[in-house]
Amino acid sequence: MPRWGMVIDLDKCTGCQACTTACKVENSVPHGSPDEQRLRRDIFWNKVIAVTNGKYPRVNTELIPMPCMHCDHAPCVTVCPAKATYRREDGIIVQDFRRCIGCKYCIVACPYGARSFNSKEQEEKKYHRPDLPPDRNVWGQWPFPTRTHGVVEKCTFCFHRIDQGIKEGKKIGEEVVPACVEDCPAEARKFGDLDDPHSEVSRLLSSRGWIRLREELDTKCKVYYLPR
Amino acid sequence: MNRRTFLKLSTFTGAVMGARQMVGRFSTTSALPLQESIQNSPEKWIATSCLNCSARCAIRVRILNGKAVKITGNPLSFVSEGKVCPRAHVGLQVLYDPGRILSPLKRTNKEKGKGIDPKWLPISWDQALKKVTQRLKSLRESAQPHKLLLFEGLNTVSSEDMILRFANAFGTPNLISGNGLDTETEKSGNWMADGHYTETAYDLDHTNYILAFGADVLESSKPLARFLRKWGKLRREKPNRTRVVVINPRYSVTAAKSDEWVPIHPGTDGALALAIANVIISENLYDTDFVNRWTTGFDSYKKLVLSQHSPKLVSKITGIPPETIQRIAREYAQTKPALALRGRESINWPDGSHISYAIFCLNALVGSIDVPGGIIYQENPKYRDMPHQNGDDIARRGKNYPRIDFRGTEKFPVAEVVTNQIPESLLEDVPYPIEMAIGFNSNFNMFAPGTERWDKALQKLPFYVHVSPFISEMALYADLVLPSTTYLEEWGYDHSPPGSGFAEVRIKQPVVKPLGDARSVIDIVFEMSKRLEEGPAQSFANLGGHSEGFVKFRTETLMPWKEFLGKGVWLGKDYEYKKYGRLFNTPSKKFEFYSGNLKSLVSKMRKGGEKDFDYLPSYQEAKFLGEKEKYPLLLLPYQPLMVVENGSQNYPWAQEIFLPMHGVGWDTPVEMNSETAKSMKLRDGNVVWVESPFQKIKARLKCSEGVHPGVVAIPFGQGHYSYGKWQKGIGVNPNEIIGVDYDAISGQVAFFNTRVKVYKA
Repeated sequence: MPRWGMVIDLDKCTGCQACTTACKVENSVPHGSPDEQRLRRDIFWNKVIAVTNGKYPRVNTELIPMPCMHCDHAPCVTVCPAKATYRREDGIIVQDFRRCIGCKYCIVACPYGARSFNSKEQEEKKYHRPDLPPDRNVWGQWPFPTRTHGVVEKCTFCFHRIDQGIKEGKKIGEEVVPACVEDCPAEARKFGDLDDPHSEVSRLLSSRGWIRLREELDTKCKVYYLPR
Repeated sequence: MNRRTFLKLSTFTGAVMGARQMVGRFSTTSALPLQESIQNSPEKWIATSCLNCSARCAIRVRILNGKAVKITGNPLSFVSEGKVCPRAHVGLQVLYDPGRILSPLKRTNKEKGKGIDPKWLPISWDQALKKVTQRLKSLRESAQPHKLLLFEGLNTVSSEDMILRFANAFGTPNLISGNGLDTETEKSGNWMADGHYTETAYDLDHTNYILAFGADVLESSKPLARFLRKWGKLRREKPNRTRVVVINPRYSVTAAKSDEWVPIHPGTDGALALAIANVIISENLYDTDFVNRWTTGFDSYKKLVLSQHSPKLVSKITGIPPETIQRIAREYAQTKPALALRGRESINWPDGSHISYAIFCLNALVGSIDVPGGIIYQENPKYRDMPHQNGDDIARRGKNYPRIDFRGTEKFPVAEVVTNQIPESLLEDVPYPIEMAIGFNSNFNMFAPGTERWDKALQKLPFYVHVSPFISEMALYADLVLPSTTYLEEWGYDHSPPGSGFAEVRIKQPVVKPLGDARSVIDIVFEMSKRLEEGPAQSFANLGGHSEGFVKFRTETLMPWKEFLGKGVWLGKDYEYKKYGRLFNTPSKKFEFYSGNLKSLVSKMRKGGEKDFDYLPSYQEAKFLGEKEKYPLLLLPYQPLMVVENGSQNYPWAQEIFLPMHGVGWDTPVEMNSETAKSMKLRDGNVVWVESPFQKIKARLKCSEGVHPGVVAIPFGQGHYSYGKWQKGIGVNPNEIIGVDYDAISGQVAFFNTRVKVYKA
């Protein structure tokens, strides 16, 4: 069984946020509004955050793309009282909207802020997009009902692509990758099997020093960063 | 496999295979072929191109059950190597913008002005076009076709060609594009040195050192997707990582991603460039072979930089320590090939052409001209020529009138367009009054400094027709609005501004049926000229008759039509380096450190005034608007990546991630150095007034470490007031407070020399 992971090269990353928009399109993630941003309620499955240190003129801002880290020891899975969030065999942490009771424990537990609560009102369910989840016809049955409000949602590593790709016998990590990886103009993101010594991600991790965020929590997360 | 063999191999039937091979070539992970199994699937991919900025990248759009659901890059494109910037994805929201207009609208409220409801009344296309052509006809009948003014915002190259032909056929010299608001100084700087009045192309694949003077290559430079893709290549896809040094008063995204940020006193980039030249020449680090063989004027240039621009002296001007200047100069000269880039922050100044010239000369100094990893020269595609346009007598006479933007006159000798001159010309009726105007996707009263003047001028226009998919701010002053299609619903052909060297053409084809009654600009122009009869109608005969026919007519000589539809991209031949013998369009046929082009033009335009000009890449202290005592800070507006350049910003995907460096969307923060703010007793989050000698705007203060202490940085892109839940009333527009000033040579708007004061609201 593969163990899917992602490597993000911060030296190649341009901070352009194409990953964020590509994710919104692919997964039909609802967009926010000025009010929601003020209340920090806007929903992102992938977001580029800025961390600034220093004092003028010696200043440094690191722009870090943040998908879900898909931890092998995921705190969100541990705390979920409804077993709505769980680890698949291939290591992807998924959220079952049908089981989720919207208690938000997982949001508190997640050390990476990767989870969002969908507090959209019913009348906003269409999110001003006339083309809601289009993918079921093509990628096969979406495992969950159409996204609904009142639940927690997050990045899925685009598992619908992966599952479909496997069915079609395609090479995951080369021919089929998550939307954010596919649409990264600098090709700063790579996706693949961390346990496969021949995968691009394994090659990258053995070629350079890497970091994972909040290593001290022992989450064993599967998103690796290559520093500059 | 190189590009040529690929082109030879791939035929239309092999398009899918070709796409796959290209995927391998770029190691793209996308497994989505072009137009595969269209017949029996509700899904299809259509190759077309983007138009959310002027780079016009090749894209593929995924259509599901008749709706566009996904936009991504076209792997057959070499300019962006199958990649797109985030704005391309936003295209879906451009297409399905709930604020789009779906039928022609007539104004019923005679009163015009900001905040006045035009009281639109929907009318039919026939009625609308009748009204337009009636007016146009009467202009021609009274032999005054020059009194028609055409505005041109961001359009496809094909629409631009049509609009230009329409202007010529009708007989007006007054076609005003928005280029004068972009980077004309880059073009004029090039022209002074090598005789090419175009943007600069860079061979980014092979360069090892980049010195970026205010060039926001990861935000607003064109073609952006190419810069983004090449950034990954420069950093980690070649054996030696390219070092990037950014010189900018503002810590931009580009600066954050670079290896070194060197803050500089605003407007002094020219001096720094000359100081770098001083170090390079005095330490004998320049490329003597290139300089001796292919340049002229080097001795006067050498004398200038050695006598007046020592690092010590320039350090006082720029605020950069002399050691830093020396170190950068040595690094730059010794790491070959190296590039010196320019961007808006460094060259959109009153003396911008000279600054641009000075920076550009650094490339020649280290021999980075037409070599791998250096400056390259863009080859443009050769579309099939349109039939020769004779034009009738009325048109010929009309076109001979002087242009109302004073380009190519004593005032702006080299200018190709002086966009921001129009309000003054209209308000003062110089050189003659304008009777009617048509705007194609333009929105200059948002994008040009001194917005109030534009509002007044548009108010004064006797009859204004606006062509656009939505009611932009400029449309609020229209007597008639014609709904045009977005780029995803129309036919066209396009190419990028210079960047790649080799030529590349992309098709635009409708990916969905036009929404409502929208019509493409090309079809609108065809229809107008048909109704005008006589000369204009003749000019547009034999051009295919409609937009699809026109695009086919123009591009069929490049590539068979069906193949073009399938691939979406036509590629020119590989780039050829070191064409020195035929490269330079200067009097000496060499690269000039002393501009013969400028000298000959100025002596023609200003007899006796030749002495007022400096023909060397000299530096002069910038002229500022406002007194330093009253307005102690300098306004530095900038364009973030997520600004969609079509005239609207009603796109939530772009709005919510507007400023990644601050984690802020949906707003216009006023960015100030935290020490400066402290000394003025202002705190982060305070609502403040930013007041220039001309106007003031109110916004929230953002204290930051990434901005020069003497500068107030405000992003462009917000402050729309015309339509749309996702843009109306959000943020402010810095153009409202920027004063009006120009680079005297190119007519480029100076954006950065307005002084301001900031105080608590």
